[in-house]
Amino acid sequence: MIINGVTIDPTFAEAFPMKGTRIIITAHNTKWAMISAQAFTGFATSVIACGCEAGIERELDPSETPDGRHGVAVLIFAMGGKGLAKQVETRAGQCVLTSPTSALFAGVEGETEMALGQNLRFFGDGFQISKMIDGKRYWRIPVMDGEFLTQEKTGVVSSVGGGNFLVLAQSQAQALVACEAAIEQMRKIPNVIMPFPGGVVRSGSKVGSKYKALNASTNDAFCPTLKGQTKSDLSPEVESVMEIVIDGLSKEDIDKAMRVGIQAVCDLGAEHGIRRISAGNYGGKLGPFHFHLQEIMA
Amino acid sequence: MSALTFTLKTAPAPVQRIDCSPLTSDALAEKSLNDIAAIKLQTGNTTVRADSLFDISGDDVTNIVFANSSDKLDFVGHSMTTGKITVEGNVGAYFGIFMYGGELEITGDTGIYTACEMKSGQIKINGNAGDFVGGARPGRKNGMAGGTVIITGNSGDRTGDHMRRGMILIEGNAGDYCAARMVSGTIAVLGDTGAHLGYAMKRGTVLLTQTPSRGISANFNDCGSHTLAFLPLLFASFAKLDSKFAQLESFSRVQRYAGDLAGIGMGEILVKI
Repeated sequence: MIINGVTIDPTFAEAFPMKGTRIIITAHNTKWAMISAQAFTGFATSVIACGCEAGIERELDPSETPDGRHGVAVLIFAMGGKGLAKQVETRAGQCVLTSPTSALFAGVEGETEMALGQNLRFFGDGFQISKMIDGKRYWRIPVMDGEFLTQEKTGVVSSVGGGNFLVLAQSQAQALVACEAAIEQMRKIPNVIMPFPGGVVRSGSKVGSKYKALNASTNDAFCPTLKGQTKSDLSPEVESVMEIVIDGLSKEDIDKAMRVGIQAVCDLGAEHGIRRISAGNYGGKLGPFHFHLQEIMA
Repeated sequence: MSALTFTLKTAPAPVQRIDCSPLTSDALAEKSLNDIAAIKLQTGNTTVRADSLFDISGDDVTNIVFANSSDKLDFVGHSMTTGKITVEGNVGAYFGIFMYGGELEITGDTGIYTACEMKSGQIKINGNAGDFVGGARPGRKNGMAGGTVIITGNSGDRTGDHMRRGMILIEGNAGDYCAARMVSGTIAVLGDTGAHLGYAMKRGTVLLTQTPSRGISANFNDCGSHTLAFLPLLFASFAKLDSKFAQLESFSRVQRYAGDLAGIGMGEILVKI
């Protein structure tokens, strides 16, 4: 398949089941809601070392938030429910509770529930106040700037993590421009995040390493400087490869995000140095979710 | 189907109080009109057939009406879990006691212990309520534990006594000892409150739109004026109610008083500023 001079490889991205949730952070204004959300989603690019993958889904108007203030929707994913609960609790405690004027709410109803502010209430040292409103429990925790309001629980959704595609370009600058264009379009799709810095990964990994201590290492087949040293997957004119990783609340959400992202890259086309779109997989043996590039773009 | 209607007979007018607890959607499910007519009701020290006290018509047991009601009718809506009961007129004591769900509405006034130990559901009183709304039975420690009570008129004394959870919304005035011994939950009053507001209150919230004419007890300390983030959520939850509270303009600026400091002092009175 070739779109606008860009070859779409007959391959697929391999993704894994994850547990995810959406939380809503509100604050006095968008600036402070965003600061809190950025802190919450910091160091959350990959479960390999961060314990979770998190990102900002979008800004919310006051009409969309439970308390009628400006807000930000955040998605966070982990490999299991317990891990997710731990990450949400520690991040909410250190990054949202601490953030001036913030409040924290569940943003999704799931098959099950987990603690959101349930344990943060103990920070109130006995002065915390519970309020049941419309069947949902909230905690009012006295803090130095007033009161921190948090919903007790949030929903847990069976999600998908690790959807991806690779952008192969003639130069590093062209790969970056293409990825930026893709991310701009993909951020318009609900229920997904691209957890890496700016949504783009320049250090895609393969499973395993020559070093026993590591379970992942550089994806040498796609490293352009190794074309003559390893079994490369790159043609001579490709000088840079960048990857976009997508986590979503469902396979369909990732499908949509990949489609608009790849289309945005292809719209730039060969005349902007884009040569191929490929994807990372492990032979289909590890992850149950397969995103076939040519089917998605058909 | 038409509402199952119990019209209280006026001749002879009931002399003794009548226990109406068997007349709920749960208790009447799958009963024929003849079965319902034969239900024995306690009145005074005797039991009588339901049709000796009421003219009975209709067939929808999920929609029950007490017409021509009087304050002799006690325990209406006792332990109900589903359906709707409408009372045309006044009603006696223990209206909605142990209620687990469904809806109760009355066009007149209620007697003492309305919503006593209620667990869930909604009660709307289009009139005045007697003493001990949402309270616990005498000698008990746990009052209303969930649900919503709307009173368009005034409530009597000791509203929310021992209340543990849920909401009591009073569009008129509340009597003396409102929120006394309250354990948790929310009482909101659009009118005035009587003496000894929050007496022995442990936790919970009393929300007032005006400063009480009798003042705030010395056992409550002024915690200052604040913008509380939970109030917009609370007002948003009022929006679906058939009540003046639904039209109330949302506010989050309040003067906060904490008490009763003669006890654990974790309750709060919030007064709109």
